Amino acid sequence: MRRREEQRGRGQRRRHVGARDSGSNKQHHDRVPPAARDVKKLLEGIGSPPAGIFQPDPFQLEALAALEFEDVLVTAPTGSGKTWIAREEIRRLLAAGRRAWYTTPLKALTNSKYQEFGEAFGVDQVGILTGDRKEHTDAPLIVGTTEIYRNQLFDSLRGFGEVNADLVVLDEAHYLADEDRGHVWEEAIILTPPRIRLLLLSATIGNADEFAKWISEVRGVHCGVVRRPGARPVPLRSAFLLPDRRLLPLLDERGRFNPEIDNMAAKGDRGSRRNW
Amino acid sequence: MPEMPPATLLAALGSYNLLPAIVFLPTRRRCDKAASEAAFARREATDERREARREFMLGFVAENPEIRGHRHWDTIVRGGVASHHAGHMPAWKLVIEKLMSAGLLDAIFATATVAAGVDFPARTVVLTGADARTGNGWRQLTASELQQMTGRAGRRGRDNVGFIVAAPGLHQDPQRIADLLRAPPDPLVSQFRATYTTLLNLLDAYGSFAQVRDIAEKSFAHRDVADRVARLEVECAEAETRIQKKLRQAGCDLPASTALGLERLVSARARLQETRPQTRAEVLHRWLDEVVQPGRVVGIGRSGRRLVMVTEKRDGNIRGIREDGRSASLALGRIGRVYAPLYRLREGAIDEAFEEIHTRGKDLALPEPRLRDAHAEESESLKALDDLIDSFVPSETGAEKRLRCTQALWSAMDDAEVVNRARRRIEAARDDVWQPFEQRARILSLFGYIDFEAEKVRERGKWLADLHIDRPLLVGEALESGIFKSLDFAQLASAMAALSADEDRDYGELELGDSLVKSLSQFEDIGFRVATEEWKYGVEPTPDLNFSAAGAAAYWATGTDWPTLVHDTGAEEGDLFRMLSRTGEALLQIAGLKRSHPEAARLAAVAADAVLREPVR
Repeated sequence: MRRREEQRGRGQRRRHVGARDSGSNKQHHDRVPPAARDVKKLLEGIGSPPAGIFQPDPFQLEALAALEFEDVLVTAPTGSGKTWIAREEIRRLLAAGRRAWYTTPLKALTNSKYQEFGEAFGVDQVGILTGDRKEHTDAPLIVGTTEIYRNQLFDSLRGFGEVNADLVVLDEAHYLADEDRGHVWEEAIILTPPRIRLLLLSATIGNADEFAKWISEVRGVHCGVVRRPGARPVPLRSAFLLPDRRLLPLLDERGRFNPEIDNMAAKGDRGSRRNW
Repeated sequence: MPEMPPATLLAALGSYNLLPAIVFLPTRRRCDKAASEAAFARREATDERREARREFMLGFVAENPEIRGHRHWDTIVRGGVASHHAGHMPAWKLVIEKLMSAGLLDAIFATATVAAGVDFPARTVVLTGADARTGNGWRQLTASELQQMTGRAGRRGRDNVGFIVAAPGLHQDPQRIADLLRAPPDPLVSQFRATYTTLLNLLDAYGSFAQVRDIAEKSFAHRDVADRVARLEVECAEAETRIQKKLRQAGCDLPASTALGLERLVSARARLQETRPQTRAEVLHRWLDEVVQPGRVVGIGRSGRRLVMVTEKRDGNIRGIREDGRSASLALGRIGRVYAPLYRLREGAIDEAFEEIHTRGKDLALPEPRLRDAHAEESESLKALDDLIDSFVPSETGAEKRLRCTQALWSAMDDAEVVNRARRRIEAARDDVWQPFEQRARILSLFGYIDFEAEKVRERGKWLADLHIDRPLLVGEALESGIFKSLDFAQLASAMAALSADEDRDYGELELGDSLVKSLSQFEDIGFRVATEEWKYGVEPTPDLNFSAAGAAAYWATGTDWPTLVHDTGAEEGDLFRMLSRTGEALLQIAGLKRSHPEAARLAAVAADAVLREPVR
């Protein structure tokens, strides 16, 4: 199989897509017409960008700026750099001798954040609290499951200790819609004292403004919404792979379902679309 | 359209330079199979990353020794592909995620449930179908689920473009995939609900139901209730202002509440008038409906001589036993006489009852109401209301002013009705929010964890509030019943596993010893007692105990090694891991009850140690 170095930047140079295969696959290619214009266009620019210096996106900076004076709900797809916002804000707070709580819905995620933040800020700066793991619980940054954070809120309301934090990050805040556990997120939002800044990181949702308005109302602190414009950090294209291994764009130039796919299926000897 | 063999699919993607890819498949088994098949087909291919993969994985073995013997080791090292789903151990999944980010894999075959937030993107995401597998069949993918999957296409900083490829498959529908891709994201929908733990903690913190209720009313789910209440409050305030204005203009210094009180009296009068019985039959029927009940003897017909002991009353009919022992069923209207005593419905007692009625019947018959009496009662009520209505304007006011005031009050009746109706609606809306909490409060009160009347958490409710586990009431009752005293640590671990595990998941069918079965059936009895009360109060029943989890947990807690546990249960590692890890967490919660239940806490601590050992951490 192909080596990774070869993969880099290959797309631009390539003329005959699909030409590199060997053996049994060859018969197919004999039947395939020369690569259509569409496919060339579909695959144009494939490959890796040149290594560059990391530049924060404007939405990340916008979120950081907003956090100085209000709660913030960030909605952006996975992998677009929501965690970066939390990390920078935590960095700023820790430098100022302040404290933060970072909640995640999953133990695995909590463990990986614990490691990540330990590497970023020093192991003595970070503690972890899950159902079966308690380490460095006095550290200025605590990483833990949302349930444990909510339980701490309960305890402090009942007079056992205080939630000692200046910032609480609710990662994967869209878990609020989880059938079994969602109520825990609502309780955490409602019961977090207004003096603590909230940063909510969520996948893209259809009612972000309504959600933020609710947070503002129940907490009495304004909650701003920061979205990643253009939705995705890496542009997305979609394709349909035919049984004979030809590739067709899934959407046409106007962004609608490519009628070509139906035509191909109708012509093919593998039955109608109904069987797909 | 049949699915492509995995090796063919990867070759096709490779020919378009679309690797590495994440290929989504509907089931765990299909993921494992696809990875093995693809690896087998690629076994002869040259790949310089093989050695790098081996090195990379060996780096994890020191900390996670169980990785070394993993059945998919070769698939990854030689084939450069992996399967990733909830059936695998977290440590194993982590290795795969790291291999992927290091660029050492060409493909991952994964189920759609790949944990949220776990970040392993690829250049291409392959969808082999437009449906998702459920416990009992197939359903269509939602826009959010598709977005969760497509979110993994395109690695930031490493790809110029990410790709979604719809590939052939039995459940494929490219048109629907295209539609879903363009669909707006689903809105966030609240799943707020009442739980024992939340109720206990909030009641203990605030010391009153009103404040617990305030918090419930803040939830995202009830924001529309809050909106509705706010709108009704505005309506209320506006109508009240109009009432005040009318009274002021009439030079009447009565508060608006006078009009509201008057309106309540007036509408009460109207309701009373409406329900007033008009005929003797109506009076009689109401009376019979009230006094005839199981355990009373009635006389049938005008003479009332034929006696029947009532055993059941429903929808205007009764069932009963005649003196000759045969059963009878008849309409209420046929009853001519009702006797006062209430008898127990036992065989001997029934005969004695008939005997008593025969000897002292005259004294025991309940007096029948007369229409005149009934009317007199009602009329008295009406008169009382009329007097109250008349006295609404203080009598010391001058006659002329009094007249103006009275007129103003009556002219404000429509607005007063608006206010009173809005207030009733506000009350009803707020009740919807509160009811699930109240149901649970009553159940907790019944079992002695809170004092409902005093709105206080009792001592035993305080430790129950600290117990952050599934089904706290069942565990609380088990702790109080003292059955923990008869358990050893492995039995305790197995009981906690039985109630922490997913209800319908199978963890193998290990044989359960007699003493284990006995202790589990004690838990089951308690569970039944709790569920019975919950059912009465309309709280959804808790799931059944999972006996296969109990067997696996007992086996593990008594020192079985991991490979043996996996082999003998036949369960998937990831499932065993999650179940045992949750069991361990529940045990740690009990181990925290050192003050209220020191013995159980000590036992739970030992059990937790036995469960939370490598590789369950």
